[in-house]
Amino acid sequence: MDKELMKAMAHRAGLDKALAEFPDDVAAAAAQAASVMAKIRTPSDPRAEPWPAMRAGDGL
Amino acid sequence: MNAGIEARHGHLHYMTVTDAAHAIAAKELSPVELMQAHLARIEKLDPRLNAFIRLDGEAALAVAKVAEAEATAGRLRGPLHGIPVGIKDIIDVAGLPTTCHSKVLEGNMATADAVCVSKLRAAGAIVVGKLSTHEFAIGGPSFDLPWPPARNPWNPDHHPGGSSSGSGSGVAAGLFPMALGTDTGGSVRNPASCCGIVGLKPTYGLVSRRGVFPLSFTLDHIGPMTRTVADNALMLEAIAGHDPLDPGSAAVPTGRYRAALGRGAKGLRIGFVRHFHEVDMPAEPEVTAALEHVMRALQMLGADVRDIKLPSLVEFAAVNRVILQSEAWAIHGEWLRTRPGDYGKLARRRLMPGAFLGAGDYVTANKRRAEMIAAVNAALGEVDVLLCASSMDPACRIDRPAEVERTYPRQARTPFNVTGHPALAMMAGLSSGGLPLSVQFVARNFDEAMLFRVARAWEHASGMDKKHPTIG
Repeated sequence: MDKELMKAMAHRAGLDKALAEFPDDVAAAAAQAASVMAKIRTPSDPRAEPWPAMRAGDGL
Repeated sequence: MNAGIEARHGHLHYMTVTDAAHAIAAKELSPVELMQAHLARIEKLDPRLNAFIRLDGEAALAVAKVAEAEATAGRLRGPLHGIPVGIKDIIDVAGLPTTCHSKVLEGNMATADAVCVSKLRAAGAIVVGKLSTHEFAIGGPSFDLPWPPARNPWNPDHHPGGSSSGSGSGVAAGLFPMALGTDTGGSVRNPASCCGIVGLKPTYGLVSRRGVFPLSFTLDHIGPMTRTVADNALMLEAIAGHDPLDPGSAAVPTGRYRAALGRGAKGLRIGFVRHFHEVDMPAEPEVTAALEHVMRALQMLGADVRDIKLPSLVEFAAVNRVILQSEAWAIHGEWLRTRPGDYGKLARRRLMPGAFLGAGDYVTANKRRAEMIAAVNAALGEVDVLLCASSMDPACRIDRPAEVERTYPRQARTPFNVTGHPALAMMAGLSSGGLPLSVQFVARNFDEAMLFRVARAWEHASGMDKKHPTIG
């Protein structure tokens, strides 16, 4: 992930303190997030429901 | 009393839950003697193993005295009367702090027992104390926290797995015969694998999560950790059950998990998920050989074993990570914004990725999760149980952070957090270095009895329940 983008996203998430005190950890976390979605196949049917589906009532 | 019991069962600290419970019920063993034997073992070994964050020995002994009086009068509270139990320190025990092994929650006093703890107490178990974990059940073996990391009793220079690290270490070393762990990405089954004990992640919803500090609402499970399969089934019988105040709890019949223990493997259809450890994440040769050995042993016992294909392990792990980190960020975000320095480095790095994932990522992961559930259900329509790897490597040295970082993700446990199916890990043998190797069994939802059946068949054939670390 581009460093400026990473900083902007960290700022948006309120991680300014972490960015100032632990910049390597914030960068490592951003890198993890950036790479993980590439490993997930796009679900074959765009209409497919995520799990779990919403259920009416108390659900218990 | 003690000498006769030890002559029949070996050291009290390695007595099984089942045998100890029978001996107490028969008035052949006093809960006080049993507790004293474990407290002596803890005093001797815990300075090397760090299984405990908080030992509650005096209180445990006081409760054991009450249990002794009750047993003498013929009044047993339940099937675990007088049996010591250790509790992972993300699970509430009334009157003790739940620290999650973190400075963030140092001194966080629990005012009530978690449901699983109150069920254990109702069955007669006695809480010995709170156990080490990876920070918030997600960090890793860390030296920058208020308490040291637990160590592996098979070799204290090596890690015991995690995150239920104190639970695994303490059960294997005979500090207590049973413990509670939690499992979001494999955290009951990892220490079970590394420490050579039996660890079960039950079906999602079978054991109430109420009173347990969450990591990921979708993926969190609470599970029993013991030295034998029968003990694991006995412990599950105590903690399973519907909880109307846990939104994920399932209203299903429970309580007969020991029924099929002695039925053996004859006639079972077993699906061997080879691609996990042969293709997706190639395992150490010793692990591969151990899995082949388990498979052949079950064949010899009359099981029909065939290969089964599931989605890739790498993708299962990615789906697990996106869901886990998204939900964990929703839990930890405020603390990470305001007091990031109160977390250890590993937990900080593993909890912050959620800040960089989008809502669409989370929904996409849950859509793939639905497809993965369908894939595992389809596989379990062809066979009764799945056999696969748990860890791809034996536990490495605890003081080699790069090696810990490399080997920790090399595992096949996350798939069944993603799908919710019950999964059990146990010892498959010992490495040339004297460390446990492991195998995992997976069954249909709520068919834990099938898991215990096949696991007991392997345990009986191999004698794995008789192997203990030589420490102490």
